[in-house]
Amino acid sequence: MKIHRVARDLVATHRIPSLADMYLRVVEDDSGDLEVALAPVGAKPGDFVITISTSAARYAATGDKSIPTDLTIGGIIDHWSEERWHD
Amino acid sequence: MKIFRVEGTLVATARIGGLELHRLLVVQDRSGGKQVAVDPVGCKPGDWVIAAGSSAARDAAGHSDYPSDLTIVGIIDYWDEENEEQAASADNRAAASAGNGARR
Repeated sequence: MKIHRVARDLVATHRIPSLADMYLRVVEDDSGDLEVALAPVGAKPGDFVITISTSAARYAATGDKSIPTDLTIGGIIDHWSEERWHD
Repeated sequence: MKIFRVEGTLVATARIGGLELHRLLVVQDRSGGKQVAVDPVGCKPGDWVIAAGSSAARDAAGHSDYPSDLTIVGIIDYWDEENEEQAASADNRAAASAGNGARR
């Protein structure tokens, strides 16, 4: 799992049916690279989160593997700081 | 999922049987690197899209045996990079015309 920061919401109305109405967020890593993650926990922009990648992301999304995602937010970190992130 | 911009359709008439069903697109990541993605959504060139990799790419393309490692799963409604670019070019034009005005 990795630590990401939520950059913003993402709206994609036209999507494959199996992604259903799941929420998406743009997240950035410590070097500023952007990715899109499924957000089942409702993280806000600015929140530090842990993300689960590869096939585990699918199980993290709903408990089964029906959602085709390769990055899912697993939780919001209570205490984390910019300095600690870049160490 | 990764963010890409659609560059165009890719035609590959001779292809393995498993790759039938969907068209292929050339997509560019934000730093300009090109990859090929399966498109079950129906994108136009210039669209900003999100694409899944890993096993999600196979299932997103239709079934778990589909041989894809990059599949488009949605079109982004609004991606501000374009507007940032437009804003930047507008700023440049404004700066340029201001510069011209100063010279005149």
